[in-house]
Amino acid sequence: MIELRRDSLVFTFPEVHPQAQLSVNFQRTLRIPDDGKEYPLPPGLGAFPLRHVDDFPKTVSPDWLEHGGVLLPMYQSEALWIMFQAKYIDEHGTYPFAVQVAAGKINAVTGDTWKEGLERRPQNYLVAPTQPWLDGFSVKKGLIRQFVAMPLGAGYSAEEQITGKGEYGGLQISVFPMKAVAFERHFPRRPAGLFSKFVKGCRGFVESDMGLAPGGLMKQEIYEDRFAFDDWDTTHSRCFVHIANSLVWRSITGVNPPTPPPTSKEYTKHGLPWFDYYDDGSVPLPGADVLAQLQSVAELGKKKGDVPLPENESVSPSNVKVIRPRKSKEQVREGVF
Amino acid sequence: MNDNGFGGYIRQRREELRTEDSDFSLRKVAAAIDVEPSYLSKIERGDLPPPSEKAILALAKALNENPDMLLALAGKVSTDLQQIIRKRPKLFAEVIRELKDMPDHAVLRVVREVRDGNW
Repeated sequence: MIELRRDSLVFTFPEVHPQAQLSVNFQRTLRIPDDGKEYPLPPGLGAFPLRHVDDFPKTVSPDWLEHGGVLLPMYQSEALWIMFQAKYIDEHGTYPFAVQVAAGKINAVTGDTWKEGLERRPQNYLVAPTQPWLDGFSVKKGLIRQFVAMPLGAGYSAEEQITGKGEYGGLQISVFPMKAVAFERHFPRRPAGLFSKFVKGCRGFVESDMGLAPGGLMKQEIYEDRFAFDDWDTTHSRCFVHIANSLVWRSITGVNPPTPPPTSKEYTKHGLPWFDYYDDGSVPLPGADVLAQLQSVAELGKKKGDVPLPENESVSPSNVKVIRPRKSKEQVREGVF
Repeated sequence: MNDNGFGGYIRQRREELRTEDSDFSLRKVAAAIDVEPSYLSKIERGDLPPPSEKAILALAKALNENPDMLLALAGKVSTDLQQIIRKRPKLFAEVIRELKDMPDHAVLRVVREVRDGNW
């Protein structure tokens, strides 16, 4: 089942393991320049607010009610990353989950249209907590294109570029827990302190009026599943995350969205930190050809003669903090704002 | 009325309070809830059934008792709760029956699932 707790989606699977729990939240962040350069990871600027679509039956579109799930507000000037935080079970380890992530029902790891169910070759999911965060579409080994919001119908979203239609928008997340027997086998009971390889993490979703388009290039690896395919349970829970543009959010919910985030230029000018994440013990996936062929918002805007990004100046982050797994149980990737 | 659960409880509670404060005499409490002392006395002895919801709520206030608890002792359910149930009778009947045997801490944590729809 999925609950909404303090702007996080909390997935639990009491029928699989009493303590299996994965929290997923959507972090606000700045839009990295879409200039062909490869950038480090931008900070988390706090979680996007999430609300049940069912709480606004009169102001959300019938499509959203049909999809169910939650909604969040997003400015076109901001971007989002998804943070995954799996529960640490004392004297065992962190409970693993396989997570499928799609934007506009385009799988962010493979570029395929949404298929319910895990596949190993090519791997159409990521594994939490090995993967603490996901910032965008996997375009190449070690490289993603940032999830940025664009109005659905303008032709920029990954969904529209691949299917020719802007039908769904938003984000879709499906979570599969590891089977309890596999968990007990991989993480047998042992004294506390010896085993905590995994990092906790999570980085938000979005959906609705807005679709997620491929933005600037960012260095981020999507890791290969190191468990056996049969270790994953087929039980799963899924959630549709609708993205409302910030003005629409106000008319739906009656409350103001958070203030707009800083630009990359402003953020970097103040010497605030960017991040790099290295996990030497995990193998990165190669990236998806279909996603590599997508045109970024800036590239497509140039072709269309649009200026979709008023602020897109290159920056040179000098304050880059390196984060590695194993250093601590809680990895923090936050900027000051 | 022979079953004196409600009346007996009220009397016991009022007498306890009276040992420290004379404002809890039968006469003064009856005045506080706007009934005759003889009427309250008969209720306390179980000679009469529990009074109206309004009088029970006034008694709860006078004796610093939980109104829902006193209403339950009197075999009643407050009007506002009845209205809530009447609005969605099937749903609340199911919920209440479902919660019947759960421990208090589980009942108090009402869980709301994020609804999945058709994509």
